[in-house]
Amino acid sequence: MVNIASSVHKLKSACLLLCLLSIAVSGCASGKLTRARDAFYGGQPEQAAAVLSVPEDVSSRDRLLYFMEKGAILHHNGDYQGSTDNLLRAAALMREQDIISAGQQTASLVTNEWLTDYKGEYAERLLVHTYLMMNFLMLGNHESALVEAKQALEVYDDTCPEACANDFFTRALIAHCFEALNEINGAYIEYKNLAELMPDPSPVARKLYDLANRLGFDDDAERFSKFLSESELNRRKRPAGEVIVFAGQGRSPVKIPHNIVVPPSIRFSFYTYDDRSPYLPPPSVGPLAGSADIVTTDVGEILKASLKERLARILVKETARVVAKEAIANNIDNDGLEILIRIFFFLTEVPDTRCWQTLPAYFSMIRVPLPPEAGPIRIKGLGQTVTLPEIDTGAGNGSFYHYYSIRNGMGPVYGAGP
Amino acid sequence: MCRNFFSKIVFWVSMPLIMSLMIGCTATTRDISPDETIHYDESYDFSDKNAIVNDLVESLVNKPPLVARFDRPVIIIYGVANRTSEHIETSGITDDIRQEILESGKARFVSKRQRDDIAAETDYQYGGNVSAETRLQRARQVGAEYMLTGTLRSIKKKEPKQVRLRKKTLQYYSLTLELTDLQTGLIEWTDSAEIVREASKPFIGW
Repeated sequence: MVNIASSVHKLKSACLLLCLLSIAVSGCASGKLTRARDAFYGGQPEQAAAVLSVPEDVSSRDRLLYFMEKGAILHHNGDYQGSTDNLLRAAALMREQDIISAGQQTASLVTNEWLTDYKGEYAERLLVHTYLMMNFLMLGNHESALVEAKQALEVYDDTCPEACANDFFTRALIAHCFEALNEINGAYIEYKNLAELMPDPSPVARKLYDLANRLGFDDDAERFSKFLSESELNRRKRPAGEVIVFAGQGRSPVKIPHNIVVPPSIRFSFYTYDDRSPYLPPPSVGPLAGSADIVTTDVGEILKASLKERLARILVKETARVVAKEAIANNIDNDGLEILIRIFFFLTEVPDTRCWQTLPAYFSMIRVPLPPEAGPIRIKGLGQTVTLPEIDTGAGNGSFYHYYSIRNGMGPVYGAGP
Repeated sequence: MCRNFFSKIVFWVSMPLIMSLMIGCTATTRDISPDETIHYDESYDFSDKNAIVNDLVESLVNKPPLVARFDRPVIIIYGVANRTSEHIETSGITDDIRQEILESGKARFVSKRQRDDIAAETDYQYGGNVSAETRLQRARQVGAEYMLTGTLRSIKKKEPKQVRLRKKTLQYYSLTLELTDLQTGLIEWTDSAEIVREASKPFIGW
């Protein structure tokens, strides 16, 4: 009799400890990430990077988020090599996480999803490669940018062909990576895929018209010529140089928790994306406004579409967890212990709101051909007018590109030339 | 009596389990031969590099134009373009190719990579610190007769999505090398080495 009482007491203590531990773990895991995000959006990006000094700063379950957040922070700080190092580790981790951990899945059935490794929404997984492409282009490493473009295409095809269909910015980057290495067949295919996905293909019509002419696809050249002005069509030779600006605006939506409680103790938890920025129109270019092509992705839209694509799986898992918790609680003979277990299950039913929070709300790719007489280029609509440094338009033989990366209100403009 | 017996069973079952777990957690290392073929997954690795380089160098030195030349023509390597979907350091391939051709005694090389350093060293020697008798003479470098270039490509094919416990991937790599006569622009030799590999990995792990 004494033995049973002692066992029950021990079990109660263990449950309480587990409960406290799980709550504590959920808090600790995101502590440094939260501080880094706050510093980043508080106008202290250097400090944000410093907060995330080593991967061990966060729980191993949040390691992917660590590399994603640090990669984005360093990119917007102008440290493209540092950003690349972190995002390559994120990409490697995503490949490792392809295997489903039976242990973590079992544990999460009686606690919550915070006990599993964060694997990233489909769109986030794609955006890792998007940032890597931008980094390699900023570093002048076109070959590695093309490697990333091919990996991004794999993510598109394998993971999110529908959810990420409206990520026009990443598609345009992929096409440009092919084009920059003179792989014009690949570039043409990617620009054409992009044109088919866009409601209005005008921003890529100029590229498609030029590439179709080079490849001898007369029918396609004629088709895309309809999107070009007379002066564009009559121009004998396009300028060899181009300014390409990667512009990030606003703050991407974040996941917020929701709960449905069925008395006495069943708690059904889920999450949705909540916007953090109002609608922001794409940036504009002056004084060469007529010749600039702008392709924009609404990051929030693709994040929400990714979540929607996973919805069925999330619901099945959530239902399985509720059923498992109910079955365990119902099978406990001791009333006191059952109440304790139910309280534990109720408290640990916390929706997994982890997400990549340093992403912008909108990504725009602005392309401006550089005629020899080009003056300073001004990008408007990023909370300020950004004047790009003057460029030597005579540089280089054949095509050459000057890249810039701007995030609205986040410090100086970083650029890289041929 | 019964309790003692139960305790012993628990002990003898749990001890080997704990021991095996501890052995599993111990870090181990072992030396392996660079010639040994080892693949952890379907992606490109050092075993592939060795196989590809051996095949192509053998073809290059045993076919025209090099097989018919006994004056060790000079070659410059312009690098192997990486057109795969992996970050592969292709300078490792060209370094190995150069080393094997030099060892075969069929050709010599001028270094594109060291040009800036050679120019800097030449400038230094003419800067006033080096005696006139020992400093090198300008315009004595040897011009390359051939240019060696190449492209590494890959094609990846995954099994279509279906209910299964393992997923299979088919990976194809090809390295094509070309030897171009710099005077005429003619491609005098070309060959390619190919690797096709199937790998499978489980969907579920612990």
